[in-house]
Amino acid sequence: MPALQHLTLPNRRFTLGLGMAAEGLNYFKYWILAAVAIAFLGPLALSRYNEIDLSTWFYTANVAKWFTSFVAGGFLYVLVPNMIAAGMTRRELSVVMGVFGFLWSAALGALVVAGFLVERVYYDAMGWSQGVQGDDATTVIGTWGETAAFAAVHPLMYLAYFAAGALVGAAAYRWQSSGWLLVFPVLVVVFSLDNAVYDTEPFGPAWAGVLGRFMDDWGRGLVLTGVAVVAAGLAIAARRILIDIPLHSKKA
Amino acid sequence: MSFSATLRDVTLKYRDSDALADVNLELEAGKIYGLLGRNGAGKTSLLSLLAAFRKPTSGEILVGGEPVWENVGIVSRVALIREGGDFDDSDSVKAAIETGQIRPGFDTAYALKLAERFELPLKKKVRELSRGKRSVLAAVCGLAARAELTMFDEVHLGMDAPTRDAFYKELLAEYMDRPHTVILSTHLIDEVANYLEEVIIVDRGRILRHEEVEVFQGMGATLTGAAAAVDEVAAGLEILAEQQLGGTKSITVAAFDPGTRERAAAAGLEIGPVGLQDLFIHLTEPSRNGA
Repeated sequence: MPALQHLTLPNRRFTLGLGMAAEGLNYFKYWILAAVAIAFLGPLALSRYNEIDLSTWFYTANVAKWFTSFVAGGFLYVLVPNMIAAGMTRRELSVVMGVFGFLWSAALGALVVAGFLVERVYYDAMGWSQGVQGDDATTVIGTWGETAAFAAVHPLMYLAYFAAGALVGAAAYRWQSSGWLLVFPVLVVVFSLDNAVYDTEPFGPAWAGVLGRFMDDWGRGLVLTGVAVVAAGLAIAARRILIDIPLHSKKA
Repeated sequence: MSFSATLRDVTLKYRDSDALADVNLELEAGKIYGLLGRNGAGKTSLLSLLAAFRKPTSGEILVGGEPVWENVGIVSRVALIREGGDFDDSDSVKAAIETGQIRPGFDTAYALKLAERFELPLKKKVRELSRGKRSVLAAVCGLAARAELTMFDEVHLGMDAPTRDAFYKELLAEYMDRPHTVILSTHLIDEVANYLEEVIIVDRGRILRHEEVEVFQGMGATLTGAAAAVDEVAAGLEILAEQQLGGTKSITVAAFDPGTRERAAAAGLEIGPVGLQDLFIHLTEPSRNGA
């Protein structure tokens, strides 16, 4: 982790959050590069046999949501004993995770927004159609402005998925045999909201989008407000679980 | 500066059972304490509370005169090193050491010097280390934490005898160089006895005894000499341990009064202090078979 030797007590939670995001992105840089390569070279290969009318970057951006959840949950699960044993308070750790979550979501979100715009240029140049699979049919994303607006919600979505992963990671550490079960209600709420953003077909287990039927009439603004509220709620819940979490005994 | 520690009416429950019950304990700053107890007695629970690894069910815990729970100024200067350490197993040994820099007082140069001395492979992953090397890594991180209250919970269990000896010597050298409060929790009692100033014995979630080492050693004696003479002097005394080699016998007895001491001296027996381990076994009811 970079620059730990310059930590001071008042600022270490912020420095660590920043370091964690940088370290996380650095650790997964080859995964990210591989995903970018597949998203852009895949359609080129497929175009020899099929007409390209779907945005592969859209699928990459969706995989990144699940990935973000795993990163948040996995990191927190490992960090709880490590950081507390290294003399950090739980409040500090919750700030570390907050900074990490914001920076991770912003970085990944920026990459995804840029990817959509680059893909737009790429698809236009190749004469392909940049569309997404809707409930009934493939929908073309539309103008440059619509492409940018389509992409712009991703940082918020990553934040929600990050908070969801952090909540499940904290619960899984605290209640070792049963905490992970929280994944089911959390997934249903986040996934249903995610699908409601664009009325796309569920990207993941279909049952997880079960609440979507109650959101059919919601406008996009209300759905995005819902995502923001849920992200905040999940982050608060994760902090609540973390704030008096006991360290487990070491197994012999 | 080193930290004192105080527990007032502290109880810690795991579901319905008491890991610790109404514990009151005062530890002065700047001493080396031994924490002894049988398996499940509550030693690790006690240390976990002092390091704020856990919150007590009730009671008050002060370290350096301040509540320890979520107190960043205190917990950053308290180190509890558990057997095998608390590391991310996917980290390299070097990265695991550098994680200690989260503590402002952590001495990385000292940690790396110790790592070289104890032949820790810096590039290896933590998960690839043997149990012994992992114990060494934990001990190195504990020493280099330069904490005001440092606690080692069975951290030396995986080490071989020469490594344990080197660890004790390093611990003592570090203590002499920078006086601070140290608590050693161990089952290898006689190995550490010479380093301890005070001993706390925990039994069934309560503090059974807390005394200076000399007080414990004065609770009995070891008599060595001709078997017949030893048997004669020891007749009627409570025998804690007994060894015989040929015609020479050595026994450890409890409650060694001045009259018995005179008789032993008159019989030409060698009188030594009681072994801490023998006394510990005696005090914690040897008839009770724990795990």
